Amino acid sequence: MLKVTSLTVRYGSIVALKNVSVHIKKGEFVALIGSNGAGKTTLLNAIYGLVVSEGDVVFKNNNLSKVASHKRIEMGLSLVPEGRRVFPNMTVFENLELGGFKKDKQFINKKIDEVVNLFPVLKERFRQLAGMLSGGEQQMLAIARALISDPELLLMDEPSMGLAPMVIKEVYEKLSILKKNGLTIFLVEQNAMAALKYADRGYVLENGKIVLQGKSNELINDNEIKRAYLGKEYKEKWER
Amino acid sequence: MQFLYSGITSGSIYALVAIGFNIIYNTTGLINFAQGEFVVLGGMLMYTTLTMFGLNIFSAFLITFILMFLVGILFERVFLRYVRLKTEINLITVTIALAIILRGIAMMIWGRDSLAVPSYVEEKTVLLVGGSITSQSLVVIVVCFFTAIVLSTFFKYTKYGKAFRACHDDQVASTICGIDVNLIRMLSFAIASFLGALAGAIVAPITFVTYTDGVMSGLKGFSAAILGGLGSFWGGLFGGFLLGVIEGFFAFILPSGFKDAFAFIILLLILFVKPSGLFGKKKAVRV
Ligand SMILES: Nc1ncnc2c1ncn2[C@@H]1O[C@H](COP(=O)(O)OP(=O)(O)OP(=O)(O)O)[C@@H](O)[C@H]1O
Ligand SMILES: [Mg+2]
Repeated sequence: MLKVTSLTVRYGSIVALKNVSVHIKKGEFVALIGSNGAGKTTLLNAIYGLVVSEGDVVFKNNNLSKVASHKRIEMGLSLVPEGRRVFPNMTVFENLELGGFKKDKQFINKKIDEVVNLFPVLKERFRQLAGMLSGGEQQMLAIARALISDPELLLMDEPSMGLAPMVIKEVYEKLSILKKNGLTIFLVEQNAMAALKYADRGYVLENGKIVLQGKSNELINDNEIKRAYLGKEYKEKWER
Repeated sequence: MQFLYSGITSGSIYALVAIGFNIIYNTTGLINFAQGEFVVLGGMLMYTTLTMFGLNIFSAFLITFILMFLVGILFERVFLRYVRLKTEINLITVTIALAIILRGIAMMIWGRDSLAVPSYVEEKTVLLVGGSITSQSLVVIVVCFFTAIVLSTFFKYTKYGKAFRACHDDQVASTICGIDVNLIRMLSFAIASFLGALAGAIVAPITFVTYTDGVMSGLKGFSAAILGGLGSFWGGLFGGFLLGVIEGFFAFILPSGFKDAFAFIILLLILFVKPSGLFGKKKAVRV
């Protein structure tokens, strides 16, 4: 469904991604893990056209290089960006409506009904400003908003960021349900444990390069990963 | 009471200009210093279409508004779009340069004299409590309120109105949702240009129009926007009326030569005392 080939992204003299290639098949849940500054956000932004990149991004056999960022949602892509980026001065309902900006009213209302079934907390808060929601609720809203356009591939940037373990679990449970319903998911995470537990397959990104890939259960048991992302050492470093 | 009526009339003009400032500010973060020139062009085009070409009022308004809508689009598409390094300070400088250029063009086309635009309505004076108001002033006030209501409905309820607000909140998120942010920026200039022209057109029969008027209209509108809280729609409207009324009041008790100074004294006071303006809403904080 998505095929990224030799993607390179530069910010001035910094090379944030070097020849990165990933592919995601229909119905898969793929996680890409990497530590701070590895280039995870850069990869998702490049796939969505928010940063300039070299290399190919092919989605459903269409090369996206000529497709403007704001048109990519129409092709069946959707992005839950880093830091959630809900519209803080607009209501929860308006945020959801904007998720379906390119769709008609009837379609949007049908989809809103669907997503609030999955995220019932949002329904109670339709008229509240999104900026007033808690971090977890904002994350749910960001996901819900990304679903209104009825995407085929959902891209997610660190859904666990800044959330309590309980809430992280809740978010991932919802993603599993979405996957079961046929959605293809590609997410990038620093929290390797959470991501690999739910994903089918994983990549490991370090300093802008893919250094490892494989089935999630293989990656979880990989010694290198344990040391780098799951080990005590890493945890302590992260908490400090 | 008379100062109140004349204050609300000039306040309506300030309000329309202030709302123009706010719309551009909200979607681009820029202060458009050519906003006052849009007002002049509105008046000048009404003069041209009505007096020089002898068109009827309806066609005159239509042509003026269409042309000014295009001027706004051109302004953003051509001049701001091609600035290499798009820092706010660079872009604001471009708006100042364009203001000066537009003023020069207006002088070349329409000359240095004050141009009289005929009244749009039969001239009558309506007696009110403690004073009177002319039919022309009433037109100005009614048009201002009507425009404010139409615009606020647009922003609150329509799909594209919501896209404007979304771009104000977060342009990256707007792009992700499929909103063409460049289109919204362009439209905000077009609407602001239209609002300026509308203000210029409705006030022209009262004040006449001279190519240098833009400086004052722009600065007064800007003061009104700051007074109400930059970026706040209702703040711009209220700031305009308040500025007009305060100005009217002081013109009533002091020699009228001081009148223009008050806008700037108020501007300074607000900047010293309450920089967010009277209605500058605190943005909802992002967690
Ligand atoms: N706009 C930018 N300009 C310059 N350098 C940037 C920019 N954005 C990111 N970088 C750099 O590119 C590298 C990758 O950044 P990126 O944000 O993609 O990392 P990340 O894996 O998402 O990190 P995090 O886990 O902190 O979100 C980092 O070294 C970062 O400093
Ligand atoms: Mg990141």
